Amino acid sequence: MRMARLLFPVTMLVCGPASVPALAAAPDWSKVPVRSITVFYPGVSPLEWATKGTEHGGARAMRKGETCAGCHDEEAADMGQKMASGQKLEPVPIPGKAGSIPVAVQAAHDGTNLYLRFVWKEPPGGAAKMDKDNAVKLAFMLDDNRVAGASLSGCWQACHVDIRSMPGVTDDRKTKYVTDGNLANGVFYDLVQWSSKGMKADGYVAERRVMEGGKGLVDAAGTKKGDEWTVVFTRRLAGGGTGDVQLAAGKTYNFGFAIHDDYTAGRFHHVSLGYTLGLDATADITAAKQ
Amino acid sequence: MSKGPDEERGGWWRRLLRPSPRWSLLTLLVVGFIAGVLFWGGFHTVIEATNTEQFCISCHEMRDNVYAEYAQNTIHYTNRTGVRAVCSDCHVPKEWGPKMLRKMAATKELYGKITGSIETREKFLARRLELAQREWRRMKANDSLECRNCHTLASMDVSKQKPRARRSHEMAVRDGETCIDCHKGTSHQLPENMPEEE
Repeated sequence: MRMARLLFPVTMLVCGPASVPALAAAPDWSKVPVRSITVFYPGVSPLEWATKGTEHGGARAMRKGETCAGCHDEEAADMGQKMASGQKLEPVPIPGKAGSIPVAVQAAHDGTNLYLRFVWKEPPGGAAKMDKDNAVKLAFMLDDNRVAGASLSGCWQACHVDIRSMPGVTDDRKTKYVTDGNLANGVFYDLVQWSSKGMKADGYVAERRVMEGGKGLVDAAGTKKGDEWTVVFTRRLAGGGTGDVQLAAGKTYNFGFAIHDDYTAGRFHHVSLGYTLGLDATADITAAKQ
Repeated sequence: MSKGPDEERGGWWRRLLRPSPRWSLLTLLVVGFIAGVLFWGGFHTVIEATNTEQFCISCHEMRDNVYAEYAQNTIHYTNRTGVRAVCSDCHVPKEWGPKMLRKMAATKELYGKITGSIETREKFLARRLELAQREWRRMKANDSLECRNCHTLASMDVSKQKPRARRSHEMAVRDGETCIDCHKGTSHQLPENMPEEE
């Protein structure tokens, strides 16, 4: 015990402030409300499809300001099943692909860090591996109400018909982007990703997707017990890096997340609809101060 | 051949207007009533015959194009309750006045049939948007009268609908919209060159 008291200031001196976040204490998750969100297999439903009324009847509602979640939140599993099975919007269905995954989402903050926790049961897999290094990846995106349309459609503003893995696209370097995205003007999504191999990326999506530059991510840790995954992100509220959204109490942000299960990559993920994340503010997911 | 005395006094029109010297008023009324019933019944029988699905698809233009699409598992063709809406249920008003006007307008389709305006699949596809837009305009103008023969916003219990239907119908009520504003292509394919503003 005495040794620990001696080591702490020494560690602080040697490692500097960068090591402080590692000491951040995660909240008592048993006391944090759980929001169940179903991520679903989206097939080929990019923004261009979603906003075209002759293809997607909901485009009309979107033009009137309706959110995707407002209409589809309760039927996400049904939609995912239709697309995963190839019944709709999926020209190359993956045999046995789960249509959806229910995820328990929790959020909290302590005035310094935001803590996000995702828990889900791994669905059956076994398909050909697209990303052989990562059995699972989980990413979330935040928008500080600057990306047009993100308040309605969440991550969809970055999903386009001409990005890699979409049908007919041969350029495997073209990743997601925001139309009119502009990092300098603050029109971007903050992007954070964890992978089962140990990747912890803190980047952003503006004119293009960049998987580095952020300084907000303190830690991303995933564990698997049986068939249940638990991934916890610790993210500095202040951010401070390139493409970091600065989080503040009392504000809400547009939020969405995606899971690449069973070694998938590109568009072959399960995605959430667009939700709001509030810090001490009423939202779909509220991160209250612990 | 010399003209009869009646014809000499004013012709057939005058004879029609002159009281009958032979038939009693009662006889004329009874015969007239029966003749009227037979005529009216016959007229409506013909009108109703033109409202049947068989009549509509007796033309290959309808049978091979819009009917074939409609019969391809659309909600108005087959559904869990077994209620089917045939062509006239959606395209001919049930009320007498609007129905007669629709039937008169439809006589133009006979001209199209004779001239072969959509006699081939290619010709049909080339004119599909124009024909669809004409029908959408008609339904918009009559506040989707045929839809409302079975469906009305006022009688909907939106709480029993899926969220997306509930939201859309609530918005339709709020914005004063009519069925066809959103429900295009429920029983037929949409034209490929359909403009986004539709």
